[in-house]
Amino acid sequence: MNRSNSHDRCCGPASGGGLGRRGFLQMGLAGFSTLSLPGILRLQSQLSASDTQPHEKTAVIMVWKPGGCSHIDTYDPKPEAGSEYRGPFKPIATKVPGLQFTELLPRQAAIADKFTVLRSMRQTAPGHPAGSMQMLSGDPDTRDKPKPKYPDWMTVTNFLRSQQGERTNPLPRYVGINPPLEYNGPAYLGEAYSPFTVTGDPSAPQFHVPNIGLTDSNEVQRLQRRSTLRQNLDTLSRAFDRYGELGALDQFEAQAMSLLTSPATKEAFDLTKEDDKTRDRYGRNAWGQQLLLARRLVEAGVEVMTTSLSGQLCGRVGNWDDHAVNHHVFDALKFRAEAYDQAVTALIEDIYERGLDKRVLVVVTGEFGRTPKIEYSPSTGAGNASAPAGTIQPGRDHWPRAFSNIWAGGGIRTGQVIGATDKRGEDPIERACSAGDFLSTIYHHLGIDASTTFIKDFNGRPTPVVDHGKPIPELIG
Amino acid sequence: MDRSNPSHPFCYIVLAVLVCFSIWPMRASGNETLDNKPAANANTPRVVSFANDVVPILTKAGCNAGTCHAKAGNGQNGFALSLLGFEPKEDYTHIALEGRGRRVFAASPDHSLLLMKATNRVPHRGGTKLAPDSESYRLIADWISQGLKYDGETAPKLVSLEVQPQRGVLPRNSQQQLKTIATYSDQQTRDVSEFALYESNDTSMATVDAHGLVKTLDIPGKVSIMVRFQGQVVVFDAAVPQGSPVDQLPPSKNFIDDAVFANLKELGIPPSAICDDSTFIRRVSLDIAGRLPTQEEVALFMQDTSPTRREQVVDRLLMTSEYADFFANKWTAMLKNRRDDASDIISNFAFYSWVRDNLLSNKPYDEMVRELLAATGTVIANPPVAWYKRVKDPKQQLEDVAQLFLGVRMQCAQCHHHPFERWSQDDYYSMAAFFSQVGRKPTATRGEDMIFHKRGLAGYANAKTGIVQRPTPLGSPTVAISPDEDPRLRLADWMSSPENPFFARSLVNRYWKHFFKRGLIEPEDDIRDSNPPSNPQLLAALEKHFIDSDFNLKELVRVITTSQTYQLSAIPNEYNANDMQNYSHYYPRRLQAEVLLDSVDDLLGLRTEFPNLPSGTRAIALPDNSYNNASPFLRVFGRPENESVCECERIQSSSLAQSLHLMNSGDVKGKLGNGANRVNQWLQSGKAPNEIIVELYHIAFAREPNEQELATALAYVNEPKLDAEGKPIDPPRILRENFQDVVWALVNSKEFLFNH
Repeated sequence: MNRSNSHDRCCGPASGGGLGRRGFLQMGLAGFSTLSLPGILRLQSQLSASDTQPHEKTAVIMVWKPGGCSHIDTYDPKPEAGSEYRGPFKPIATKVPGLQFTELLPRQAAIADKFTVLRSMRQTAPGHPAGSMQMLSGDPDTRDKPKPKYPDWMTVTNFLRSQQGERTNPLPRYVGINPPLEYNGPAYLGEAYSPFTVTGDPSAPQFHVPNIGLTDSNEVQRLQRRSTLRQNLDTLSRAFDRYGELGALDQFEAQAMSLLTSPATKEAFDLTKEDDKTRDRYGRNAWGQQLLLARRLVEAGVEVMTTSLSGQLCGRVGNWDDHAVNHHVFDALKFRAEAYDQAVTALIEDIYERGLDKRVLVVVTGEFGRTPKIEYSPSTGAGNASAPAGTIQPGRDHWPRAFSNIWAGGGIRTGQVIGATDKRGEDPIERACSAGDFLSTIYHHLGIDASTTFIKDFNGRPTPVVDHGKPIPELIG
Repeated sequence: MDRSNPSHPFCYIVLAVLVCFSIWPMRASGNETLDNKPAANANTPRVVSFANDVVPILTKAGCNAGTCHAKAGNGQNGFALSLLGFEPKEDYTHIALEGRGRRVFAASPDHSLLLMKATNRVPHRGGTKLAPDSESYRLIADWISQGLKYDGETAPKLVSLEVQPQRGVLPRNSQQQLKTIATYSDQQTRDVSEFALYESNDTSMATVDAHGLVKTLDIPGKVSIMVRFQGQVVVFDAAVPQGSPVDQLPPSKNFIDDAVFANLKELGIPPSAICDDSTFIRRVSLDIAGRLPTQEEVALFMQDTSPTRREQVVDRLLMTSEYADFFANKWTAMLKNRRDDASDIISNFAFYSWVRDNLLSNKPYDEMVRELLAATGTVIANPPVAWYKRVKDPKQQLEDVAQLFLGVRMQCAQCHHHPFERWSQDDYYSMAAFFSQVGRKPTATRGEDMIFHKRGLAGYANAKTGIVQRPTPLGSPTVAISPDEDPRLRLADWMSSPENPFFARSLVNRYWKHFFKRGLIEPEDDIRDSNPPSNPQLLAALEKHFIDSDFNLKELVRVITTSQTYQLSAIPNEYNANDMQNYSHYYPRRLQAEVLLDSVDDLLGLRTEFPNLPSGTRAIALPDNSYNNASPFLRVFGRPENESVCECERIQSSSLAQSLHLMNSGDVKGKLGNGANRVNQWLQSGKAPNEIIVELYHIAFAREPNEQELATALAYVNEPKLDAEGKPIDPPRILRENFQDVVWALVNSKEFLFNH
């Protein structure tokens, strides 16, 4: 890699993979013809006939840190920077020679050879909505808006893969456990491609997933009776169904029935089936069990998995948005460090130990980093990681210009560090990677060639799934 | 920079020098050689034209498609061409001058990167695009060896394009070879069949290959093949008859039936029978008023023996307030009556009421559109101003107006010539010019401006050329508008004139789709020469009727729903099951989100509560999108967020989430278990189970249950049950629970979920 070219873009080699996705391309360009449901069904059969891709579907787990995590205090320490920048956390050595994290992440430091750190992530939107939209849907707009204009990579993947053919696994393709939903979504793809959402704290004893494997056998029985009754009553001629819609409906109903009644789906969501040692290893708290559930579901066949690390474990305001008005940034990072470090470490180790490391890509990120320069403002209220109202405390604001994220599994070479920021952690000085590069990398793992995949928006205009960007070469397996 | 090419930089320099040497002298001579006639001697290759040969070949091979090397897409690996070859001059620069000259190599054309990549001799992500022995390959190689001449300004211009034949009657599963002839400004004609692009408008009916060979499939009807070459578009229209005997046509009720039945006769597709009374009243109530018919309406209709009893149903429905609710719901979504902020509520309510009142009083459609287009003042004083609150940019205004009221999609033309259309960037900006004088002044309400006409000469600069375009209606001459005049009024004049080719057509097509699921032109807001209607006579007749009725919307609904065509059964006969576009039978549709929610409530005698609205407000009468937040039901069944001018924002397809919701959501379970629902009330009052079942069928389907249905349901509700401990449950509770199951089964049945 040419290190002298300081603002080199992440511009990978033309990848050979993904040409099997031509079918999507044809669909995106169908242009002149209306893509009616029979059209889609036909495309499906063409795809299944011609696509010779491996049968094991690749999957992605995205761990989302809503609000934006301070990069300087975690993966990109700047011990040489002035005191108004560097913060109190000391750098520590990691398993990878020459690579340092801060002391907040001892467990990850010990397994740093099992993942790769990208330190030169960069986007251009300063607000939570626009920043999230950049990272999750590739929208270049820097202004905040109430709703996303483009679908996020999760719904895009769900959409594209559902065009490929009927799903045989009873589990939904896309599941979110307390997922990011506020600033992303399916946009013009429609609600049907949204995640099957699980909310709550999976470590709580009363944790229960609605709509999955009904626990009450009476309820299961009743649903089956109802379903039989419906079959007996609904004798309306099916002959009128030329559009295949009733057929599609039947398929979804069958899928819903199996989701509701099959013991296998129930089991996939049942963390008590994990042994105690494993549960302990992830941490007996919401985040640990969220990540364990994510791993469990992906293992059972979920292909798109997102989960947010938010809520009480974050501190008073429930997310990573550590302005001084919200949190004492350093207290907050300390407050959440253990649970975070433990859960992420366990997930990464587990992925490798269970042989999921080729099929499953894990990425941990937020929408941006935080200002390298520390700011001081009065707190707006007392609570976890925040002093009483009016107390001046340190904070860090939004910083999209440079931040870090980590990648594991997906067959990538691990133990690397990609890119670097300047001495204050303000801007990348090597290998700046855009949101488009970030998304293209994820898509690449999912077998979607982002540079040639177009989906029609509401106006029928073929719209690229990523506006500009290339898979980050070091991160493609 | 292109990392994939391992060549040493030095090679680029050598190549660049060589190419420079070869280009410049040749270009000078190229200017002298203006004729493009085929060479007299067949052994000497003719002079190849960049504009008329090379660019069309690149277009045909797909090189300049959005997904490949078009600049509008990503311009893969730094090689960026103009989208679909509309800018030959730019393309020349990219091919001959950029890329350090290595893309073309005059001394040895076969070693030009352009050809090496296109033939995949150098690994090309796009694969093989040209065969080395093809005519296209030879032409590009000749052009390179002839010195890379640029003739964009001097080459003869394409004057017209013709496809032969222009129309035909093709049996099912047959073939037809098309021939494409280009005529140039020097009177030369050329067979460009191999260089034109072909596309079928319905690939379930006919396919076409790269050489223009059309193959029809099993489905009968009208199908079109679009032929494109150098920015021009022509269409081959084919009728694919089925040829079955059509001897039993219902008597025609109006011009709609004349046109539909004539088409069915021509194609040999016999229509289904007229639907029964129950089906009719349920269908027409759902389509006009967005709700199930009430028991009283059904009873009144069933007792009536008059020969015009179906017409009377239509007339009564058009008088209901639900008609206005239902269509206001449709229009306000497309007019983007959206709540982005809590403070929008007043404007949302005012705009909604304005639309609804106009529909209720049946204001002529052209007047309604004029009031909207030319709205001035504040939202409170003049509610259609709310549209300008949501749609702020003149470009967005033009795009919305074009798509919504003219059925023309202009979005693409903002940045490039639309590939299937005649609209250019100049056309785009001259339409935007109508909105260039919209003045805004902030009001006390956040985000809300007062709208006024800003005095001055209307004009909008073409973003590419910088030339200011004057207001010009699509396909018409520029209109002179004085600085004192609001140009939007002139746009409204043009739109509502009887000669306007888009305005009435777009509306009748949109409404036709509302009642028949499929527009005569499909998608309904994509009217263009290259997307012809499936029944042009019918579309023209509807248009005329609508204009003659003075843009009367209720009359349009009346004439559609009283036709025999609308009243055909959804059940196909043995000959017409294949038909998907000739209306030989009714095409069933899933109830839309609001209607489905209301129907479930109607069946149970309940009403869903919505915040800030009076109790009893139906989902179909919700003024804006904000209520979706609190209703997973509406969201999951695809109620739009009023973000797009396209009706396609509403999701009508089925999904897993929908099935889960109907089968097991707390929402639906709560309604079934609600003690106040009518079934529980009936049970409490001791109503007999068979009477309850009969009444549920009346409400849900406007019909009596047949013997078997009644027996099945009765047997079910009387089945004994045991509780978790295996003890028998007391009979009243069994009855209650079993009835919940019956209602569940009805709600989850296709007969309930669909309008059929």
